[in-house]
Amino acid sequence: MTSYISARWRLLRESPEGRLTAHFFHSMFDFGFLSELGADSFKRVVVGSVGGIIAVGLVLTRAYMVKYASLWRAASPEKYRLALAGDDMLIIGLPMLLVAFITLLVSQSLFPDERDFRILGPMPLRRAVVFRAKLAAVLLFTGLFTAAAHASLIPLMLLTSMNPWGEHSVVTRVVAWVIAGVGASAFAVLAITAVVGVLGLVLSRSGLHTLSAMMRSAVLAALVVSLPLVSRLPVLGGSLSNGPDWVMFLPPAWFLGLQRVLQGSADPTLVRLAVIGLGAAAVVGLAVAAIYTVLFRRFERLMLRPGAMSRPWFRMPRFVSRAGETPAYRGVHAFTVTTLVRSQLHQGVLVGVAAVGVGFLITLLGARFRNMPLFAPFVLMYLCGIAARAALVLPMEYRANWIFQMTEDDATRRDQLRAVDRVVTTFVVGFPVLVATPVLWWTRPADAVMVLAVLALVGLVFVHAVLYGWRRIPFTCSYLPGKRFIGHSVIFGFFLGLFFTVFGGGLASIAASGTPVAIAVIVAMLSSVAFVLRRQRLALWRDLPLMFEDELPDQPQLLELQR
Amino acid sequence: MLEARGLSKRYGAFLALDRVAFQVRRGEILGYLGPNGSGKSTTVNLIVGLIDPSAGSIWLDGVRMADDPVAYKRRLGYVPEEPHLYTHLTAIEYLMLVGRLRGRSERMLSEQVPALLKLLLLWDSRYATMAAFSKGMRQRVLLAAALMHNPDVLVLDEPFSGLDVTAGLLFRTLLRMFADEGRMVLFSTHRFDMVEKLCSRVVILSHGRIVAEQTIEPRREQATSLEDVFVTVTGHEDFTPVARDILDLMQAQ
Repeated sequence: MTSYISARWRLLRESPEGRLTAHFFHSMFDFGFLSELGADSFKRVVVGSVGGIIAVGLVLTRAYMVKYASLWRAASPEKYRLALAGDDMLIIGLPMLLVAFITLLVSQSLFPDERDFRILGPMPLRRAVVFRAKLAAVLLFTGLFTAAAHASLIPLMLLTSMNPWGEHSVVTRVVAWVIAGVGASAFAVLAITAVVGVLGLVLSRSGLHTLSAMMRSAVLAALVVSLPLVSRLPVLGGSLSNGPDWVMFLPPAWFLGLQRVLQGSADPTLVRLAVIGLGAAAVVGLAVAAIYTVLFRRFERLMLRPGAMSRPWFRMPRFVSRAGETPAYRGVHAFTVTTLVRSQLHQGVLVGVAAVGVGFLITLLGARFRNMPLFAPFVLMYLCGIAARAALVLPMEYRANWIFQMTEDDATRRDQLRAVDRVVTTFVVGFPVLVATPVLWWTRPADAVMVLAVLALVGLVFVHAVLYGWRRIPFTCSYLPGKRFIGHSVIFGFFLGLFFTVFGGGLASIAASGTPVAIAVIVAMLSSVAFVLRRQRLALWRDLPLMFEDELPDQPQLLELQR
Repeated sequence: MLEARGLSKRYGAFLALDRVAFQVRRGEILGYLGPNGSGKSTTVNLIVGLIDPSAGSIWLDGVRMADDPVAYKRRLGYVPEEPHLYTHLTAIEYLMLVGRLRGRSERMLSEQVPALLKLLLLWDSRYATMAAFSKGMRQRVLLAAALMHNPDVLVLDEPFSGLDVTAGLLFRTLLRMFADEGRMVLFSTHRFDMVEKLCSRVVILSHGRIVAEQTIEPRREQATSLEDVFVTVTGHEDFTPVARDILDLMQAQ
């Protein structure tokens, strides 16, 4: 029997479909901008992240042990039931979010594309084989993360199930959870795939790459911002029994309903939730099937469609740089903004990391600390700084940078880099101030103006840190990932962010409650520092040549093993 | 006059170019011939200043490039072998970028860029990003980018690859007229037919060394070549007016 299975497996693996599936699976790790070395390093990161997911599951279990030990000793089953509803929703919601992220990350590989058409088209392969292989690769990839996420939560599931107040056997609960949880993750994968597919079929056809990229970024931002909401799922358990209308819009609640129905519940609210969940999964499943069918039947026509011949009906508003700016400034400014608006990768990095900041802001505002609205915008600002630098560092069509090399001029370099300074300042200072304005107006109306002024001035100083050592035209320099040990970078980044938040929030607190003299001193001090640092930056840019090749950290680390 | 004096380029132990010397005189199209791997692209990269020579120097009108590389590059137009450009931009956006990097005013660019696109038959594709362009279309964009700052020297690295017959004829007419105005063209290729039709002198490179240099008489077109038949039946017979318009646009201030 074993030899029969292994022979069948070998046959499948060595068939054109099997080889193609393996190829598509591997290409999901290829983001197009990493070198071969970088892609290998990324694969290790992905494999490591599976281990990380399992570790997070174990940590969660440890954290929940105390809670469930107290519920074990509770006098009535009510508390346990409420806690269980919330925690079951979390155990379903976490893998959903993770798998949705992963699917969005590989969204460029969810459907056969023009490259597949041009390379595989002339080969002696039926189109159905290509499509089946692509679908199989997507299922394998997302299935790997779905399995890892669920495996990591099994200990927590067992912990929540083994209780004297439990109404069902552990086996029943685990089986129902696996079905509902995998269904929820499948819904997340299908929903993201359907969105990406519709964008690919409809928007790209009209030459609306900009709108397509922005909508994908919006989905990414929504997923990131929903992270704090997922962490609040355990406290929503009580809401389920009341059956409020908003629960009907909460996807993890739909699949909690399914889990409970599978366990034998006939509660009308839970049945309704289960029906909505199954209906939603069916709708997105049908949408994906329809998109694959359209793509399959009209592959040539869709892949060989000409570029836009007429003015697109959607155009980004033109970001006009100030009148009187030099051509060099205008050139780099327009190039940077257009790339950020059109490139899926760069926009994804910018929006994704900034959305983490917004997520933190939402979470921190929920904390019971009166001065939190004064500190929270600085977390957002710090993450916007990281997002801006990361997005501008990643190359775009690296070999096209010869035009910048050929036109580099001492007389215009400063203007070119001043355009980068403007883009970074707009994002790192402008965006957090924009987001913080309504928050502060709502929470601290009396101090809002002062705090916003401090936020902006601290931002102007922070721009110097973001652009520290910067000598590149955005997207034109090669990129070496993993130059520094990742753990070192994370720890260093965390403490730097903590320091920045405490420092900025501290100044904002003084400005909010201080005397006019103290406020004047803070404003004068920050303005002076920002002014001096900007002058230094501009002077440096006048003298140092542009960088087109990424460099390793200039000093090797000395281990000093021998003294 | 553009002059290479004893140019060498070494990559570690490998000598890619060995004491290469040649001149491109005013009004001349110099054919730079050689098989793959002979050092043609290395020479071009040195001439346009993308890499530095290990030995030797480049002179333009008696001034050494290393003494003022920026002034040198201002007088140079370059069409690379592979159409490496930012394909997420439209042709208009790319030409505006290049024009701005070259210091051209907004007023001038707003007139020059659409006119160039029309003359190079790219106007209908002005709303499409260059990702949707064929190689020939991208080559035309690169030619426009190389010409728009009115250079004295044009360096072309296999500029005819991917061009259709019509665009190829326009390129040839344009290059001849460009040189006739007393400017210089360095034309790197491995296509003998193009060199015979265009160049007044040829330098042949092999294994990083110049092995032959000779003045040639540009070959007259045959009375009824297949190319003639093609342009007659497609209705594109005389490209001189289009080439003249492009050159006039270049020189507009």
